[in-house]
Amino acid sequence: MSTLPPPLPEDGDDFLAAEYVLGVLSLPERLAVESRLRREPAFAEKVAGWAAHLAPLDAEYPEEPAPDLMPAIEARIFGRPEPVAKRLPRRRWFLAALGATAAVAAFGVYLTGLDTTPQALTARIAAADGALIFQARYDTDQNVVTITRTRGPGPAAAHDYELWIITPGNPPAPVGLVSAATRKLTVPKLSAGDTLAVSLEPAGGSPNGRPTRVLGAGVLSLT
Amino acid sequence: MQDDQIAHLLKGVAGGDRVAFRTLYSAASAKLYGVCLRILRNRAEAEEALQEVFTRIWINAGRFDADRGRAMTWLISIARNHSIDRLRSRREETIDSSESDPFAMIPDPAPGAEARAVAQGEAGRVSKCFEILPPAHAAAIRGAYLDGLSYAELADRHAIPLNTVRTWLRRGLLRLKECLAQ
Repeated sequence: MSTLPPPLPEDGDDFLAAEYVLGVLSLPERLAVESRLRREPAFAEKVAGWAAHLAPLDAEYPEEPAPDLMPAIEARIFGRPEPVAKRLPRRRWFLAALGATAAVAAFGVYLTGLDTTPQALTARIAAADGALIFQARYDTDQNVVTITRTRGPGPAAAHDYELWIITPGNPPAPVGLVSAATRKLTVPKLSAGDTLAVSLEPAGGSPNGRPTRVLGAGVLSLT
Repeated sequence: MQDDQIAHLLKGVAGGDRVAFRTLYSAASAKLYGVCLRILRNRAEAEEALQEVFTRIWINAGRFDADRGRAMTWLISIARNHSIDRLRSRREETIDSSESDPFAMIPDPAPGAEARAVAQGEAGRVSKCFEILPPAHAAAIRGAYLDGLSYAELADRHAIPLNTVRTWLRRGLLRLKECLAQ
């Protein structure tokens, strides 16, 4: 660094925080910073400070009408598009036409038809580039998740994949390691709409009870 | 849409409200797509990035704290971070593939008084402070932040050595910070 002009006040961490927010760091450096953010509140504070300093620049990003990616996004998260209102069978429409009372009765029949307690919920957990895919099946009777890696390699040396449960309003809860091609894990009671996620962790699992790097997530839905 | 409306939608999303999630897409996708597209400069990749961004929004919405900053700023930081991760993983093919996966968990810094003060309507002051920077330093900071340029690309763009870029950024940022502290 002998080519540098007059020396500047040194605060390596503060400049590193700024470099991270600016985005000039390499990916390994960015990941190292993100790992520190989780462990060092003082450093996280510096990053948040720079993020706030520079946020006014966000106004310069133009709005660009996005294609409707919601079906693809919902398919990724929920496993399939949100069901649209199903057409009632014609016979029940006929009943409905008889009057309000009949309509209510018909709707009752319709609901009863749906009331098959699900034995299993499934989720597809895929990385965005599709290179890594897990299929998870949750048996409601036994509270067991069977998770199978259907695409992609096992974790790199000295790493493990870890499964997490994310329920609304709660932080991710670790379930267990899923580095093997197939695993069965006992879980708390889950319901449709809960999220399963797989993270990449140091060997043995998350060191701090939080996912280190989320690789993909999927929401449990009816098969 | 007002920022408090976005914040309200995020609260719904955190509670698993899929209608709120769709409304949020309608309200915020144009801006976030603008961010992805400017950084990635490729529509197909920006679309993939936007899908991932909204997936992360769904998963992490519960971590947004309206007392700590604007909702739109939070959403844009997710889009910027993911786009920059993608850009860096695209350009760094030599690193271990297990490390090149761009699905870093969103960092969750808890901003303190400084961040809150800046977040609360000091945009005008920040622009003024940008104006007092040497134009080249300001341009380097903007190029890094808005376009996701790396040190090497900034050096190329300004036709200066890499160390000089670092110095520009460091000096520019220091002055920016001093100016904001006044």
